[in-house]
Amino acid sequence: MTVDEKAAPLGVSIPAPPSRLGQTAAAVVVGAVLLASAADLDIDWGEVWSIPGQIQRYGRLMFTDPDWERLPRALFETWRSISMAWLGAILCVVLSIPLGMLAAHGVGPTWLRLTLRAVFAVIRAVPEVIIALLLLTVTGFTPFTGMLALGIAGIGTQAKWVYEAVESIDDGAPEAVVAAGGAIAELARWALWPAVAPALTSFALYRFEINIRTSAVLGLIGAGGIGSMLTNYTNFRQWNTVGMLLVVVITATMIIDATSGRIRRRIMEGAKQ
Amino acid sequence: MTDTAPTVWELPPKPTNRARIALIIGAIATFTTLTCLPAIGGVELDFASLVDNWRNGARLGREFIQPDLSFLPRTYRPMLETLQMAVVGAGVAAVLSVPLTLWAARQTNPRLATRQPVRFTINVVRAVPDLVYATVLVAVIGVGPLPGLITLILFDIGIVVKLVSEAIDAGEHPYMEAGMAAGGTQVQVNRGVVLAQSWPFFTNQWLYVLELNVRISAILGVVGAGGIGRLISERRAFFAYDDVGAIVFEILVVVIVIELFSNLVRRRLT
Amino acid sequence: MTDQHEVGPGSDVSGPTSWSIHLNDVSVTYPNGTTALRNVSLDIPAGEMVSIVGLSGSGKSTLIRVMNGLVPVTTGTVAVGPHEVTHLRGRQLRQLRGHIGMIFQGFNLAERTSVFRNVMVGRFADTPTYRTLLGVSSERDRDLVFAGLDSVGMLDKVWTRASDLSGGQKQRVAIARALAQGPSVMLADEPVASLDPPTAHSVMNDLRHINGERGLTVLVNLHLIDLAQQYTTRMIGLRAGEIVFDGPAAEATESNFEHIYGRPIKSNDKLAN
Ligand SMILES: Nc1ncnc2c1ncn2[C@@H]1O[C@H](COP(=O)(O)OP(=O)(O)O)[C@@H](O)[C@H]1O
Ligand SMILES: [Mg+2]
Repeated sequence: MTVDEKAAPLGVSIPAPPSRLGQTAAAVVVGAVLLASAADLDIDWGEVWSIPGQIQRYGRLMFTDPDWERLPRALFETWRSISMAWLGAILCVVLSIPLGMLAAHGVGPTWLRLTLRAVFAVIRAVPEVIIALLLLTVTGFTPFTGMLALGIAGIGTQAKWVYEAVESIDDGAPEAVVAAGGAIAELARWALWPAVAPALTSFALYRFEINIRTSAVLGLIGAGGIGSMLTNYTNFRQWNTVGMLLVVVITATMIIDATSGRIRRRIMEGAKQ
Repeated sequence: MTDTAPTVWELPPKPTNRARIALIIGAIATFTTLTCLPAIGGVELDFASLVDNWRNGARLGREFIQPDLSFLPRTYRPMLETLQMAVVGAGVAAVLSVPLTLWAARQTNPRLATRQPVRFTINVVRAVPDLVYATVLVAVIGVGPLPGLITLILFDIGIVVKLVSEAIDAGEHPYMEAGMAAGGTQVQVNRGVVLAQSWPFFTNQWLYVLELNVRISAILGVVGAGGIGRLISERRAFFAYDDVGAIVFEILVVVIVIELFSNLVRRRLT
Repeated sequence: MTDQHEVGPGSDVSGPTSWSIHLNDVSVTYPNGTTALRNVSLDIPAGEMVSIVGLSGSGKSTLIRVMNGLVPVTTGTVAVGPHEVTHLRGRQLRQLRGHIGMIFQGFNLAERTSVFRNVMVGRFADTPTYRTLLGVSSERDRDLVFAGLDSVGMLDKVWTRASDLSGGQKQRVAIARALAQGPSVMLADEPVASLDPPTAHSVMNDLRHINGERGLTVLVNLHLIDLAQQYTTRMIGLRAGEIVFDGPAAEATESNFEHIYGRPIKSNDKLAN
């Protein structure tokens, strides 16, 4: 680094600031990509300024007089979404725990570990909706399809959490079981399971929270539940019903998030003691 | 060996959490049963259909995993749109997330009266699933990438603000006391030091939402919000599952490339 | 880095005036009910170098923090220079704090950013918020930052990341941050408790020079009695939130210390043992 002999008021030399060329260049590249992308998108940016007004107008249509008469139906569909999410979470967790444990370092053989991890990566990359579209042809436009899609689509991430949790536990306990002559099943039952159970329980609940949102998404492609109802009424442009449905979705999601989050925190705090 | 009297161990009372465990198991079983009752909205577990129709799925699956790669050239333009939406969405969300995050974290905004409204709004924003935003916004402002873009921005802001503000609150920030002691305002301390200190949290989450955006914007088109999803629903309507397979294959490649790229950037940044 | 160096008089840029400190019957009870100070009255003339000694939990940090309003008093009054701290709010309180430098046991630097940015924190009180927001500093602010660093011999590290410094270097940067304020009073809360003995002496030396050559009032919390005797002229002993000793540091006897500490003196109550 060169020292720029800039005279300070005290007659001492101040080191030249380090070159920020790399940072500046990176910032310019990021900025250029952003601007080019924005310019190339098929969006009339002049129109953007009218959007807050639009949203306000439609917001008023939706929320000044929400259609509470359809609330019972909405609650029925909400329960359907919750059911899809819950059963999907169970399916996902039941599949991911053994698969994830097998994919952890030091549990299964290497070829199995690498294969499983590749499968998880692929599942992670395929959107749930695509999996649901495939399943539709077998099980039709039913909540059962939604539940299966949630169960399968979640495996990619859930199993990754499982093997990461298994790999982050201390080596001591597994070693003790191996030293005592344990097989893989015993290793899993007596060494891995007790150490990761709190984290896995917490992940399972988290999967439920994620599925709550995704189940609404699957509803949009016809798997039933509150998402389907919302699409229908949006297509009919019955804004006061849409407003009521949004209120129901938001309230239900927030209640479930808060409850599940509280249980998760209690589990993790209990595990720390 | 002669019989000796069995030793009587004086054990401390065994903690009985059996009742609690039974309660928890009971609650889970009840909940699960209720979710299986179609009469109240539960899921009808129709395993028979799996047995009856698995051939349909297998046939489609076969087509699906033999994608028609000659279809790919037609996908490039919509795929580019998907990527552009992902990048612009993440970029706009990144800029907006900074002040909102510092506003929503307890340590950078000790005033409950101004913090609580932001947190509440963020929680509401997060409670709406991405495709629901897209569906409603398409109905409100019309088909095209704009509703998709707004969806991504809202979705990303929800994630970044929540995760980063929690990370900030979980940490200790002794330098903030120094800033206050030197006579700085909260805003000065936040901008002057907290931001530099929290930068890695931000960049990490920005990269994460960029990855998510690619995945989400690939399907936004299903409801008319721009990008490659439009092509997916179009080809599926024609039962051209080999084309759908080609698109999914392409999404897979792009998602993995983006993940590798962001891992690279993460490593450079730390 | 334990070299001894001089805090040059030439680095005195703003020509600070030294302030006196008066506490009148000050009590502090924290919101959780802990009473940290009980009826403390204290007069410290301008330009004095004072140590506050006491066991951990005796209220030293609290005593120092009522002087710049970081901890509000429950009853009583605190006056620093021409200001009544207890009456100040908002902007005025920040202005006052700008005149009071403070250094901490843990250095309290933002480790992930440069020394320059950390010392710039000392200019906050005299910088309009919009300027900090835009991230532009004035020529004068930069000069004060360089001067502060120069006077603790850290100018060559101005562009270094704070996390790359040793403990002693970090504390000197923290002193530079306080000096950049152009303070009239310097508060130090256990400034050497995290440092090794030679570095501790060099930091105490810096503080002595600040007192001697700038004529600043210096208050320093210490839990090591030999440092208090070696570097300060007046010593205040705190025990359970009450002043139990106040006199010339050099004349304090072993029994005075046993009175302050409420127990026999142990070897780890001194730096050199
Ligand atoms: N923020 C706080 N809230 C509640 N109690 C506190 C707080 N800070 C300090 N205390 C309590 O006040 C007493 C004095 O603490 P402190 O001033 O930090 O003493 P010292 O610096 O001498 O160790 C201790 O009992 C401490 O537990
Ligand atoms: Mg203390």
